[in-house]
Amino acid sequence: MRRMTDRHSRLRDRIALGVVAVTAVALFTVGSTAAQPSRAGAACTKITFWAWVPGIDRAVKAFNQSHPSICVTLSDVGAGSPEYTKLTQALKAGSGAPDVAEVEYDELPSFELTKDVLDLTQYGVNSVKGTFVPWAWKQVSLGSGVYALPGDAGPMAFYYNSKALDQYKVKVPTTWAEFSSEALALHKAHPGVYLSNFSPTDLQLLMALMAQAGAWPFQYTGGSKVTIDWTGPKQTAFANFWQKLIDAHAVNPTTDVSTTQFANMDRGVDIGWTSSAWWPSYFAPDVKKTMGDWRASALPQWKAGEDIAANWGGSAYPVFKQSQHPKEATEFATWLNATMDSWNITKTAPSLLFPTFKPLLDSPSFKNFTVSVSGSSHPYEIFGAAASKAPIVEWPPFMTEALADAPTAFAPVQNGKETLAAAFKKFQDTLVSYAKSQGFDVSTGGTS
Amino acid sequence: MSTLAIRRPAVRSRRSSWAQRRDRRGLWFVVPFTLLFLAFLAAPLGYAAYESLFRDQLIGGRSYVGLANYHAALHDGTFWSGVWHVALFGAIQIPLMLAIAFFFAAIFDLGVARFGPFWRAIFFLPFAVPAVVASVMWNFLLEPSFGPFTHFAGFLGFPNTDFFSPGLIWPTIVVIVIWEWTGYNMIILYTALRSVPRSVVEAAVLDGASLFKVITRVKLPMVRPAIVMLVFLNVIGALQLFVEPQILGDFYPTAISNHFTPTIYIYNQGIAGQEYGIASATAVMLAIVIIFISASVLLLTRWRRHA
Repeated sequence: MRRMTDRHSRLRDRIALGVVAVTAVALFTVGSTAAQPSRAGAACTKITFWAWVPGIDRAVKAFNQSHPSICVTLSDVGAGSPEYTKLTQALKAGSGAPDVAEVEYDELPSFELTKDVLDLTQYGVNSVKGTFVPWAWKQVSLGSGVYALPGDAGPMAFYYNSKALDQYKVKVPTTWAEFSSEALALHKAHPGVYLSNFSPTDLQLLMALMAQAGAWPFQYTGGSKVTIDWTGPKQTAFANFWQKLIDAHAVNPTTDVSTTQFANMDRGVDIGWTSSAWWPSYFAPDVKKTMGDWRASALPQWKAGEDIAANWGGSAYPVFKQSQHPKEATEFATWLNATMDSWNITKTAPSLLFPTFKPLLDSPSFKNFTVSVSGSSHPYEIFGAAASKAPIVEWPPFMTEALADAPTAFAPVQNGKETLAAAFKKFQDTLVSYAKSQGFDVSTGGTS
Repeated sequence: MSTLAIRRPAVRSRRSSWAQRRDRRGLWFVVPFTLLFLAFLAAPLGYAAYESLFRDQLIGGRSYVGLANYHAALHDGTFWSGVWHVALFGAIQIPLMLAIAFFFAAIFDLGVARFGPFWRAIFFLPFAVPAVVASVMWNFLLEPSFGPFTHFAGFLGFPNTDFFSPGLIWPTIVVIVIWEWTGYNMIILYTALRSVPRSVVEAAVLDGASLFKVITRVKLPMVRPAIVMLVFLNVIGALQLFVEPQILGDFYPTAISNHFTPTIYIYNQGIAGQEYGIASATAVMLAIVIIFISASVLLLTRWRRHA
């Protein structure tokens, strides 16, 4: 009797052990990410591409069809910071980085510094230099090298609800002085309505406006020397201008590109926004009442008669050192950004990318482009004019840290607990101490 | 298995070899856990300790700095203020949550609720929701312009409540965490209450104790081991607070600073600042703090029991 129980219990135990082993193996494999499907029978060069632009898969597909010897696989690993985190870690680890990736202009210097991006002049990219607006080409160049293909841009304009402006008898401002007086007057007459929001926690927006004001706080041309100046006279004047409006509650201190702000705009609480060309694709899904009412006008100027633009964001497409096929990767990046075939796809919804590619910028059909939130008006005429005139800026190679610090540094300003100038000083101290701890040779002051 | 003792001596060798095989088979079941433990707990801890002795700079690369990172972490005021904040958070959230959990566990134990198992499942449900999902969900519920709770607050006479304003953000997180974890704590306390011997309770009732006294003076002391364990686990969890503020910070960057809790500070040091050496040292420092605080709590409750 016992012998039978013994054999049964042994068998039972072996089955139990087998079940446990299989479960363990299954859990291991289920948890791992799915591998890319391999193309059966493909003899093409494989290129991996990381990007988050919605709808860019259409351009990738078109490239693969027209270039059968190259197979590009697209992965969306996150928009902005999540992608940069994965990139820096893959580059540090020595493997796992893609051949080409979407990298915003302000993040490119940090990859140039660690020498993780290739100089593409060796693959002949200078042949397309003339097809891009000069400031965009300058953004991707360092010395005599070119480290990425310029992609899209975010030229800024003043976007306003034309019906609301008529209703409140507000003139469209052409200078910042006009903007200020209109905003103050509007708020006095109608306390629940604002001419625009102002969100200093959005560092990219803040710096775009500072660039237009000639108050750019950084100087960096590669290497270990960097100048950080948030407390110079121009920067302080900029801070004081906006602080006056914040104190008078003439601008709405809500976070930019948020559900709250979009709802405010649709409900008529905010009747304007200093925004960039790519915002319709973000705003349109939330518009119910004001569809078709929004118009663009040139960003207000600091001196009447001037024509200085501002640029908010935009991405470039570098090729990474880890790439096994840099020539093909460059070919793809060049096709993506310097051909009408590609732009004809990425200029349409859902991508709605705004080009730095001159042939498209200058084409009449582009200027007549309409977006649903703007009815039949042609906002791209305004944005297009701004696109070629953005000031040339120098990004330091630690923007990831700066972008992570900015909400903490500027939240008290948005909550009314600190002035913008005081926050500038604190932010200056944070950045200087970070740059010093990273081994940079930091100087303060002296930026124009 | 007392029948084994009266087996015939002639089969002693087979019994002992069978007993040996049983022991070794048990070891095999531990192997998967041990592998996972080594791979995902022990090895990363060792690696973090190793990393904490180095410093990575954008200019100058990697260099060995010995204990300099620990020195920096010790003198880092931002880190210690974060520790103070989560300690305060725990001191408020844990007693509140355990009181609520015990209250409902006692009610279920009394059997006054109809469809008890159904209600217990409902109370436990928030624990089954991943913390990330819960945070996103609560973000929409508490949305300052359109969230249902904001409307409700307006209805109660508090218009324009911003649950994510600096004054209300900590109470908001306390509420979210209590919502997530009360069910779990309640189930454990309920199970502990169920194992209180009925004879003790009946004796107290016969002695004329009121219901309140029975619950607080008889049942509560008998579930003390469960409460001590829950306090210990909850203290560790509170000091490691990360998911809820991190997700809320994605929606409302102005509400959550980059040093809101120590774990968020370490995360930003490592990921945003790419200062992996300092982040590792700060993380080891935090682990030591957590061990210290939770061990103190454990010893304190033990001491009180023996006193």
